[in-house]
Amino acid sequence: MLTVKDLRVSVDEQPILNGLNLEVGEGEVHAIMGPNGSGKSSFAHVLAGREGYTVTGGEVRFDDQDLLDLSVEERARKGLFLALQYPVELPGVSNLVFLRESLNAIRAARGEPALDAATFMKVVRDKAGQVNMSPELLKRSVNAGFSGGEKKRNEILQLALLEPRLAILDETDSGLDIDALRVVADGVNVLRSPQRAFILVTHYQRLLDYVEPDYVHVLSGGRIVRSGDKSLALELERRGYGWIAGEAAA
Amino acid sequence: MNAMLEPVERYRRLIDAVAPSLPGDDAGWLTSQRARATEHFVRQGFPTRKDEAWRYTSLERVLEQVWAPNAEPGLQPATADIAAFHLAKDAVARLVFINGRCLPGLSSLSGLPAGVQLGSLHSALEQQPERLAPWLGQAAQAGVSSFTALNTALIDDGAWVHIAVGTKLAGPVELLYLTTGPGTVAAHPRNLVVLEDGAEATVVEHYASLDDTACFTNSLTEVLLGAGAQLEHARLQDESAAARHISNVFVQQGHSSHYRAVGVSVGGLWSRSEYHNRMQQTQASCEIDGLYIAGDAQLTDVHLDIGHAVPACTSRERFKGILLGRGRAVFDGRIRVEVDAQKTDAQLANDNLMLSRDAEVDTKPQLEIFADDVKCSHGTTVGQLEPEQLFYLRSRGIGADDARRMLCLGFATEVLQACSVDGFRARVETRLQQRLAAGAVMGNSGE
Repeated sequence: MLTVKDLRVSVDEQPILNGLNLEVGEGEVHAIMGPNGSGKSSFAHVLAGREGYTVTGGEVRFDDQDLLDLSVEERARKGLFLALQYPVELPGVSNLVFLRESLNAIRAARGEPALDAATFMKVVRDKAGQVNMSPELLKRSVNAGFSGGEKKRNEILQLALLEPRLAILDETDSGLDIDALRVVADGVNVLRSPQRAFILVTHYQRLLDYVEPDYVHVLSGGRIVRSGDKSLALELERRGYGWIAGEAAA
Repeated sequence: MNAMLEPVERYRRLIDAVAPSLPGDDAGWLTSQRARATEHFVRQGFPTRKDEAWRYTSLERVLEQVWAPNAEPGLQPATADIAAFHLAKDAVARLVFINGRCLPGLSSLSGLPAGVQLGSLHSALEQQPERLAPWLGQAAQAGVSSFTALNTALIDDGAWVHIAVGTKLAGPVELLYLTTGPGTVAAHPRNLVVLEDGAEATVVEHYASLDDTACFTNSLTEVLLGAGAQLEHARLQDESAAARHISNVFVQQGHSSHYRAVGVSVGGLWSRSEYHNRMQQTQASCEIDGLYIAGDAQLTDVHLDIGHAVPACTSRERFKGILLGRGRAVFDGRIRVEVDAQKTDAQLANDNLMLSRDAEVDTKPQLEIFADDVKCSHGTTVGQLEPEQLFYLRSRGIGADDARRMLCLGFATEVLQACSVDGFRARVETRLQQRLAAGAVMGNSGE
């Protein structure tokens, strides 16, 4: 589904990804771990099409299309979703309007008709219930004044609503208490399917106690320096990142 | 030689010519008020850019044309034509003015409760001028600018609203001011809104055009609020692209009265709104929210003069601007806290969203504080759409233009939700979306 070949990216002429390779197949859950500054979040943002990153080499194919050639919204409409580490506040933009416009834009791209108001309300209420989100938050401005946990729930609600083919969660687990972490994990687990893939970008192994990854990769110095199964995450938890960086340099 | 002398002379002749036909000419107080205003107007002349409050606005284009007051409309619109202009869904009464003249046939005044007087100022001045004597001109004399004086010299028609002690209106009163050709048209509507002690009402003023005729509107609304009275005052200037518009609102507030206003300016080539509030008794409060949208060739101009003269009054002014293309805006907001006005709580904010590099805004908030125990603040911002916000929306599949539209609407929401009039907000949002769609190319250049 996703093939990343020798991806090289810089920000302000400063290289941050230096030949990253990754293959993600349908139904797989990949965890990308790594120390701060290793390029994890940058990788997630480059996939989503965030401005400010210059691709200097390599390619990214998503379902046989050149992903890097698509605009941000086109990527989303093709089924790519990025849950942000710091979800953006949109004062004055109603969460319901935001969710409805998003869903209908994605549905239109899939050739599905827009949902009428009543059907949409039913769908969004159901999904909000699944992620334990208070219906009150649907009426408020997007993320404005939400707690950290509420913002993350709102991201998972969007994930559940938009049903992407590839979901990238950028440190969605950071700063969450155990209940919110469970909501995120349950959200991912419920949505796991043979057609859908996940990339979980995370600093800590904690999330992986709840979401069992098929693959774990360690990113360091802008490249994936080691890949393995979930036991690699446990080893990282025990030994830290230092030994891998040392090995990679050796 | 004063370059503005010639237009002044022209207007003086106009005043002389129409004076005999103005209503209430047998009421001494009114004729002397008009005469004083004329004299003041002639002496003062029109402002020039040397006047601080007019620094960014040239009047030459407005004044070079001859504007005919109360011109007969070429076509008499039908009730069905008017329906498209209705804003308030639950209006209890409507008054319709064409080229400054009230048209009873298009208005609906039936079913008003006891204690409510509503109708044409012209009729009221003809039938019972003494009834209006205690109020007409009371609030407006506080600041006699040229246009205020001109309006007073020409007092003819407008809305007359009187709500008796303790009376509460169930829905909004809607006042619709339309202009139509042929030829150039001037209207000087004069509105008088009086809420006696404890009265409550909502008044909507809506200025619009039936066609693209070049028109000049010089409207003046006086609001007098008794003790504990509450007025919500929603105003929309949505005139044609050929319109010139100036409106002055003068508010005089009694003890514990509350004045809540939402003023929106969308249309017009040049549009200036002034609010002059005088809180004259303690515990009065006012909230004025505003939104202005200006695109190519448009200049919109907001002036606030909020006067705290007595202790323990509260004022909140919050204006937002959306500038497109080569649009220009001026915001000049002043709060004056006089020496006796201890415990004043006043806040003034002006935020501008620039959707194009070519747009321009001049913003000048001013606090003049002569009391020492007060809580006052002001702040202004001039900014663009946040790239993070655009990215967030687009990353959810929403197209770039739609994302911009949603963020602009969001920017306006804070102001619009301050208005409780059902139908007002939807109309403004529609207008804003139309303007954004028309200026979509400009929006792109703003990135």
